[in-house]
Amino acid sequence: MEVTMEDVAGDFEISGCGSTTASSTSSLDDGTGMYAWGELSPVADWGNFCSDDGGQDLHGLIESMLCDDTLVGVATGDDGHEGLHHPAMFHDDVHCYSNGSNPSSTTTTNPGTPVFDDPPQECPEKGLRLLHLLMAAAEALSGPHKSRELARVILVRLKEMVSHTAGANAAASNMERLAAHFTDALQGLLDGSHPVSGAGRQAAAPAAAAAAHHHTGDVLTAFQMLQDMSPYMKFGHFTANQAILEAVAGDRRVHIVDYDIAEGIQWASLMQAMTSRPDGVPAPHLRITAVSRSGGGGARAVQEAGRRLSAFAASIGQPFSFGQCRLDSDERFRPATVRMVKGETLVANCVLHQAAATTTIRRPTGSVASFLSGMAALGAKLVTVVEEEGEAEKDDDGDSAGDAEAAGSFVRRFMEELHRYSAVWDSLEAGFPTQSRVRGLVERLILGPNIAGAVSRAYRGVDGEGRCGWGEWMRGSGFAAVPLSCFNHSQARLLLGLFNDGYTVEETGSNKIVLGWKSRRLMSASVWAPPPLPVPSSPPEGVCQPVVGIAPANGGFGRTECDYIDSFLVEPAYALV
Amino acid sequence: MKEMNYHEQERQGLAAATSSNGLDWFEESISSFLAADVDLGGGGGAGGYAWWAASPAAQQDDIGSVVAQTLSLPAAAPAATSPLAYASPSIASPAASSPSDVPSSKKRKSPAHKASGHIGSNSQRRRAEQERSGVGGGKKGGGKGGGAGSDRDMRWAEQLLNPCAVAVEAGNLSRVQHLFYVLGELESFSGDANHRLAAHGLRALARRLPAAVGPAAAAVLRVPACECPTPAFVGAEPRLFRASLIRFHEVSPWFALPNALANAAIAQASTCGAAAAAAAAAHRPLHVVDLGVSHGVQWPTLLESLTRQPGGRAPPSVRLTVAGPGATSPAPFSASPPGYDFSPHLLRYAKSINLDLDIGRVATLDAVQGLCTPGEALVVCLQFRLGHTAAEERSDILHKVRGLNPELVVLSELDSGGDGSAAGEFAARLELLWRFLESTSAAFKGKDTDERRLLETEAGTNLATDVAREGRERWRERMAAAGFEEVSFGAEAVESAKSLLRKYDSGWEMTTVAAAGATGSGAVALRWKGQPVSFCSLWRPA
Repeated sequence: MEVTMEDVAGDFEISGCGSTTASSTSSLDDGTGMYAWGELSPVADWGNFCSDDGGQDLHGLIESMLCDDTLVGVATGDDGHEGLHHPAMFHDDVHCYSNGSNPSSTTTTNPGTPVFDDPPQECPEKGLRLLHLLMAAAEALSGPHKSRELARVILVRLKEMVSHTAGANAAASNMERLAAHFTDALQGLLDGSHPVSGAGRQAAAPAAAAAAHHHTGDVLTAFQMLQDMSPYMKFGHFTANQAILEAVAGDRRVHIVDYDIAEGIQWASLMQAMTSRPDGVPAPHLRITAVSRSGGGGARAVQEAGRRLSAFAASIGQPFSFGQCRLDSDERFRPATVRMVKGETLVANCVLHQAAATTTIRRPTGSVASFLSGMAALGAKLVTVVEEEGEAEKDDDGDSAGDAEAAGSFVRRFMEELHRYSAVWDSLEAGFPTQSRVRGLVERLILGPNIAGAVSRAYRGVDGEGRCGWGEWMRGSGFAAVPLSCFNHSQARLLLGLFNDGYTVEETGSNKIVLGWKSRRLMSASVWAPPPLPVPSSPPEGVCQPVVGIAPANGGFGRTECDYIDSFLVEPAYALV
Repeated sequence: MKEMNYHEQERQGLAAATSSNGLDWFEESISSFLAADVDLGGGGGAGGYAWWAASPAAQQDDIGSVVAQTLSLPAAAPAATSPLAYASPSIASPAASSPSDVPSSKKRKSPAHKASGHIGSNSQRRRAEQERSGVGGGKKGGGKGGGAGSDRDMRWAEQLLNPCAVAVEAGNLSRVQHLFYVLGELESFSGDANHRLAAHGLRALARRLPAAVGPAAAAVLRVPACECPTPAFVGAEPRLFRASLIRFHEVSPWFALPNALANAAIAQASTCGAAAAAAAAAHRPLHVVDLGVSHGVQWPTLLESLTRQPGGRAPPSVRLTVAGPGATSPAPFSASPPGYDFSPHLLRYAKSINLDLDIGRVATLDAVQGLCTPGEALVVCLQFRLGHTAAEERSDILHKVRGLNPELVVLSELDSGGDGSAAGEFAARLELLWRFLESTSAAFKGKDTDERRLLETEAGTNLATDVAREGRERWRERMAAAGFEEVSFGAEAVESAKSLLRKYDSGWEMTTVAAAGATGSGAVALRWKGQPVSFCSLWRPA
């Protein structure tokens, strides 16, 4: 494999997509000379690439607020530190009690927690004020003491403080713009404009909704810019693709079932890698089956992605066919809907909701489980999972007041999202401090709608089960970890090297790497092998049962590949080429 | 026969109170206020607050300027283009639209808004106020319904302040800090009643904090600036102080109604008691001991009604003994600014109506004994002072009052009780302050005037006291224990008080509470939107 950096032809331009390998290290080293960014991104002129950490660190701010001890600004007292001097909370007539001289006597200390490490120029207390108001608004919208009136009053005040339409005002601070999006999201909850009942029914993907309002081209442009500005999308795509390439090496026909194909951009880079193998081996035939929701405009978007991919494949000589299969009305995946062809190596790709992506469909937990177990039942060789990383659940709330506890779950999820997006915000700000207009576009068209969706989901509590990620569930269901190759590891590091300092990659398991911004984990990619299929003995009725259906002990079903070829032709997959 | 007489007298006395109080100054603003349904038949005298008008010209000018200020503000407001006009009515759902103006009227922290903020906020708030009163509906009815859950939901400030008080008492610093931040954003001493409550509450909690959690812990918290820009009574400018008191009596029954009831009872006692004993002894001097918060405002109507006793049976002389603020522990509304003295005005007024008035001052109740003379009708008015004292002091004072063997004791107190815990007491005080702020906002038609803010600041000091309040029943037990028995108000007094109340906002109502074992009406309770505010009761030695 080699770096394939040529500009892609076809009607779908993909900037900077390609799989990188260790052989290209030298060209990646300087971190700036790699891609001709200006050429590849039609709109943005990124200007300088300075990676110094300008601006205020939202993420640290939120962390400081989330941590009880730092919230009240107590320094760790052991080393004889004086109490940290806090920036004045309010501009005019500051009314602070003078700092205590013996902070150690005041409250429990939690060594190692950051306290306003570096008060930035721009009034940090405004950020804190915004955060406290956002948290209070979330509290007012949930819990036993919920008060719509209080929430309304707080939101009015928040809007005064961030008074501008999100992203439109370049003068607004980073925190203000972030707070504006979260304010709008909470206002949406208050007004009921986001569906808050019927957790089973999904809000349309916010980005898709945004696309309906904005010119689709704008969204695509913003999406592309985000791709260029951050490693968020590429990280998952590259890691998954590399694992797939390694798993299917030597196979003649590859069939990938993609749970959420979005724009299909991931597969363009895979095709590039397949068609440019250094050993001259011809590219295997690639078939993609995209999973789509029944009803709605989802199928059309999927078809559009397929059309683009087909055109792209044709342009680079990649043998390719494309099809789709629909979820049931309850969003369950039924293996029978996938058209199987004998001799194909089957791979499942599962990219779940991410903050910085247009892929914002989050389906019910049961839907993901049915997909994973269904693909296992179909005999998939490999399952790649790209998902958000949450903070570990903290159980140390013992100190919190009872009412805070009771209102807890939504508030905690809300703050979690705030935390997550603040890290994304910081990363974009740090990388492109002078590109406020471009960031504004990305924020407005992609991140803002995603925030609205994330807050809405947090409110409905649909995230509950998937919180600690799918790893545990998959292990429990018999999936085995497939170690990532060192190729794959170094590829991820190289990728981050292309961006500004601050991104981190972390190996949390042999088969999993996590992308983060500073101390905050944001997303992970992991690779799994489904449990071996049991001996064939019964008809495949139980196939779509999650968990139990694939538990080896159950042994309820089995098949040979041949059996499937004909028996699952429920929906014709149409090759578009 | 005699009873008829009393009632007649009583009615006339009250009618004086209800008639033309202060109209001299407020014709424009209040004329609509004094609807024709008030019985003005017995009025027409020079009663009420006109006695101020008899003061020197310089003072008239002063008051006039105060009034002019009051009146000019609304006139100017609509013309001014508000910089806040963009603010938010469209944001809220229609159901919540009335208060949606409110946060926009919040005090702006940025200097740019400071200059124009008040004008804008006035016009906006008034609009909100009008909407509200439109919704409020007819007399009394609207108020009663208001006590329900929806009303409670609208009281958002308490939903922040009460958890904050709990957190303060529990020493939960992170929670306190969080709520301080939020309250710091929403508080305003010049916004709507909720914003004001947030401001007063935050200030009280910030002051309470060091004592509750220890000074060292308190020092690490960031406390938003929450100093009230308006001084309380003690620091007020004397003429503004006077104007504020008068204005407040004009627009709110908070003190005016208990005062009117007390006056009716005193007028009755001055003649009635004597008549019952012997008609010949009708001409007894009247001695009123004033342990209250009226700062003189209460008495002109009493004096006026005394002169109009049928058959010229006005007492030959009236002695007013005012117990200074030091006579009890500090109580809200009891202090007055240095330089304020109502005696000359009141004496001048008494002279103008040919009444022999003598005003004395005592530092404590102990000194009253020496001022009492045999044969006089002694009435002790305990109004809104005892409730702020500690339990032992209450008993002590009541014991001293009993020792005076008065013919009548008037007891008016706030009707509020907490659960005894610090946070519970705070919640009770907060609720009472809410009623004050909300009713005062209605009384001033939402206008933010100096008078209003002075009164609210003084009322806000109530939050800082840490004395447990008591409800009406507890007071009744306490009075009985001190050796008093309850006396009923006459039906006429109650009826007249009701018609007086009609002058005020429709959220007000009064009810009579039958005294145990007594015939007729017992104490009169004043309620705002269905919730208790205060009671006025009559007692005599058992």
